[in-house]
Amino acid sequence: MAEGQKGMLQKLRRVYEEKLHILWLIPNILLLIALIQIGLQFSQTGEILHRGVSLRGGFTVTVPTNQEFSIDEIQDSISRAIAYEVSVRRLSAAGAQLGYIIESSVDPEKEGNLELLLAAIERNLNMNRDAFSVEIIGSSLGSAFFKQALKAMLIAFVLMSIVVAIYFRTFVPSLAVILAAFSDIVITMSITNILGMKIGTAGIAAFLMLIGYSVDTDILLTTRVMRRQQGSVMDRILGAMKTGSTLSLTTLAAAIAGLAFSQSEVIRQIMVIIIIGLVVDFIATWLQNAAIISMYMKKRA
Amino acid sequence: MGKIKQIFQNIRVIIMGIVLILAIVAISPNPFSQGVAIRSVTPNSSAAIAGIENPPSSIWPMGRERIVSIDNNPIRSEAEYYSLISGLEPNQTLNIKTGKKLYKLRVKEKVNTTELNESEDRVIEESIAVNETIDGTVQEINRTIKRVIRVPKIKREVLGAEDIGLRIFDAPVTNIRKGLDLQGGVRVILQPEEAVSEAYMLDVIATMEQRLNVFGLSDVVLRSASDLDGNLLAIVEIPGANEEEVRDLIGKQGKFEAKISNETVFKGGEDITYVCRSAECAGIDPARGCGITESGLWACSYRFSITLSPDAAKKQAQATEKLSIVTEGSQRYLSEELLLFLDNSQVDSLSIAADLKGREVTDIQISGSAGGASKQEATTNALQGMKKLQTLLITGSLPVKLNVVKADTISPLLGEEFLKSTLWMGIAALLAVSAVIYARYRRMSLLIPMAVNIIVEVVIMLGVAALIGWNIDLASIAGIIVSVGTGVDQLIMIADEILLGESQEIYDWKRRLKNAFFIIMGAYFTVVVAMVPLMFAGAGLLRGFAITTIIGVSIGVFISRPAYAKVLEILLRE
Repeated sequence: MAEGQKGMLQKLRRVYEEKLHILWLIPNILLLIALIQIGLQFSQTGEILHRGVSLRGGFTVTVPTNQEFSIDEIQDSISRAIAYEVSVRRLSAAGAQLGYIIESSVDPEKEGNLELLLAAIERNLNMNRDAFSVEIIGSSLGSAFFKQALKAMLIAFVLMSIVVAIYFRTFVPSLAVILAAFSDIVITMSITNILGMKIGTAGIAAFLMLIGYSVDTDILLTTRVMRRQQGSVMDRILGAMKTGSTLSLTTLAAAIAGLAFSQSEVIRQIMVIIIIGLVVDFIATWLQNAAIISMYMKKRA
Repeated sequence: MGKIKQIFQNIRVIIMGIVLILAIVAISPNPFSQGVAIRSVTPNSSAAIAGIENPPSSIWPMGRERIVSIDNNPIRSEAEYYSLISGLEPNQTLNIKTGKKLYKLRVKEKVNTTELNESEDRVIEESIAVNETIDGTVQEINRTIKRVIRVPKIKREVLGAEDIGLRIFDAPVTNIRKGLDLQGGVRVILQPEEAVSEAYMLDVIATMEQRLNVFGLSDVVLRSASDLDGNLLAIVEIPGANEEEVRDLIGKQGKFEAKISNETVFKGGEDITYVCRSAECAGIDPARGCGITESGLWACSYRFSITLSPDAAKKQAQATEKLSIVTEGSQRYLSEELLLFLDNSQVDSLSIAADLKGREVTDIQISGSAGGASKQEATTNALQGMKKLQTLLITGSLPVKLNVVKADTISPLLGEEFLKSTLWMGIAALLAVSAVIYARYRRMSLLIPMAVNIIVEVVIMLGVAALIGWNIDLASIAGIIVSVGTGVDQLIMIADEILLGESQEIYDWKRRLKNAFFIIMGAYFTVVVAMVPLMFAGAGLLRGFAITTIIGVSIGVFISRPAYAKVLEILLRE
């Protein structure tokens, strides 16, 4: 068994060493598909991400009652009834319960959604809707926030590129690092689009985390190849890959543990995006960045 | 054994240890802390009269006064407090024992007064000055006379006991402040006085947000909403803050005007280019200071300087040009004062020195005062009042007046369950990471320092958060996850470079670590610059995330990573 595994690894290694310039096509094709997907989606909906209406749009229903319910239970049962996530919070004044606030980011523009929500609340809290007060939260503030977030991400990316360029002071290797980070984010974004994930505020945070994680492995690779003298370029790439895969594996292990143990939808979305991003980062770093830098070193030599 | 001793004698390890201890002191965890902590005291309430002081909002959670018992009944939770407080009778006396001292509190009556449509005669006492001849000289003396006036009849009904005015919460067990989504807070719904468009409402919300930010309340959720009749509303959620603060800051339109002879010369907002908030030109007025008033209460004066725009200065010059000069003793003033109005009520009047007539003055000193039961409380209130006024001057007035429709305490969006599940998640993640690291290296001498390093880093991050009064919310938790994640990455890089050096028989440890730290610093700078634009992007989520991440990775790179590298060097060196 161990022998077989070793054989496999060696085979893989040989393929990688000899065919890196062909494997390079994989991330590039993925990047192209991702750009087309995002472009198409943008031309159709005007948005590069499926924005969860949770970016602060939807309904809030205030239910005055002094009857006590388990927040988790009504939350689950209403969510199931309307097939959309709701959050329930308790309202109180001077220690006495006044009622509950039920918030849902289900699309307020769509006819029938409110009716569905109110009916579900009536059933679960055993109350008549006459007592409820309903507020509709527009997504306009959400879109302002969203635009700002995207702009901030763009500036963050540009600043990061400048630092990388200053740090390595050579054009091609810096570009390779920046391209790999760019590919990672764009491909991950496209995958979340295709999966139909609705990106909320937590999702934005997760994409930002990806900038940090993906640059880590790229800087590791470039430093090892450019600054080390021992061994061939391929040896250095493989050495870096060994460290790099440990990095990715630990993060992946932590993210999977997080996904398994967290009951929170918010944390889950962050973890799912990070897991997708790490897999994409593996491809972007070791097939794209590595290919560019090995070709660059060959030319220089 | 010698190696362990070496580790604890190393300067980098000692520095990390000191920072860790400071962090724990800052958090000052006390899982056994009991009672309920005082969040705020309503002015003029029974509690305030009994001498319980309103804590400043900057106070550390563990530093808040705690109620230990009421009338010798121990108070262990919010529920116990409310059950004791619910059946109070007017004029009843309560003995409230706090961690500081024992207060004797008399419950006020709740009175409803209505003005009736008839009037009655009332005898009042009045003091008048009369000239009288005493011992041959004319002297002015005060004499009290009785006079009868007609006043509207007032019906006075006692409705029961008035709220004693304490806002409390279950005593915190650490100094870590939890954000709105983890702890809950106040939810205020505001409605504009007149109908406005949605775009207009967004302007209003932007001003409110700026106001809260300038005031120093972060972690605020502001949303525009509409009810089913189509009325536009603003919903504001603020963690832990007290209602009065919210009402003062956003319920007020904040229309600040300065008038000379009934003509507006400048307004808050655009006419004011700079409001001084540093200690040299803002604070308790050194010329007037604090003093005891006739009623036995303390009062403190504050002052701060502002700079007017050239246009406003010109307008003021035009207004003062028309005034005449009056002489009062040795001082010469202009005939009219500069009157300051906030939301149409006068807050201050300033005499204008004669030599300023017709001159364009850009620097003006604004002053005001506030009272309290003790000197300390009056000082706190004065500074707080100054901060509010400064905030209103900087942000200008809201385009429309808003009325508070509802203000309730709201439970957190994520709450206890979320925190528990996050804690479990953290433990699971740590175990999973440890398993991967052990599978890769099979050396406890690498794994244990790594695990210790991660835990120490999280504690230090929380300590810094407690120290700077940062609210830990979802975004901060995400930031902590990133910092720990990149931290683990860097620890592995250090370990790998050391092992690589071992296999290539590089004996110089400095050389072994040089590459590792080159990579780490590169990764560090990229993450920090990536976070900077997020700090300035509007919504709180991004700011919280960015700041926590920057703090986290900085602690990692400058404190715990060097210590880790040294520990490995000591452990692995032959």
